[in-house]
Amino acid sequence: MENQTLVTEICPTTTQSWVKNGALILDVREKDEVERLRFDVPNYHHIPLTEFEDRFQEVDPNQEIVVVCRSGGRSLRAAGFLVNHGYPKVVNMKHGLIRWVEKGFPTKGDVNEVLPASSSSCCSTDGKTGCC
Amino acid sequence: MKTIKVLGTGCSKCNVTYQNALEAVKRSGIEAEVSKIEDIMELMELNVLTTPVLMIDGVQYIKGRVADVKEIMDLIAK
Repeated sequence: MENQTLVTEICPTTTQSWVKNGALILDVREKDEVERLRFDVPNYHHIPLTEFEDRFQEVDPNQEIVVVCRSGGRSLRAAGFLVNHGYPKVVNMKHGLIRWVEKGFPTKGDVNEVLPASSSSCCSTDGKTGCC
Repeated sequence: MKTIKVLGTGCSKCNVTYQNALEAVKRSGIEAEVSKIEDIMELMELNVLTTPVLMIDGVQYIKGRVADVKEIMDLIAK
């Protein structure tokens, strides 16, 4: 998941900046997961990955989009799918909701849905941006 | 020769599908190359969303679930 060729990945802290600038948080977890715990952000849309192929056009291609899921794997595939379909401003939030919760960022629901989890690793992979 | 690819992230369902594909080829008695694609970049380039995906000769037939031996044999026979 470190290959950056197709999709840029950002960490949850950087995602906060994107949120403040109006980016859409696009959650691709399944419905039952979202019912238990969801991102508490102003600009939020939910399309389960299992429905994504049929519904991705609900999202404005001209908008900045951060695709999210539980750990960053499913969202990476969805982000790649959007890029392949001509969405130019799409990034993936790596480490997903797990890291988001570990950082204490806003959610609605039961955070035990994703905790406890290992949080010892740094999300920076290039050694330049520092740990978020 | 047919080319059969199981696209997935290495999960148990992907592995079961891969084994089913091998078994289907064996039972069908046809010549086919069966492989697994687990590289995330390749998966994204192929627009894979839900896994596993069963791809035969470049066509994605079954997505997001395990393909059983019988249905793979049917697809091979097409």
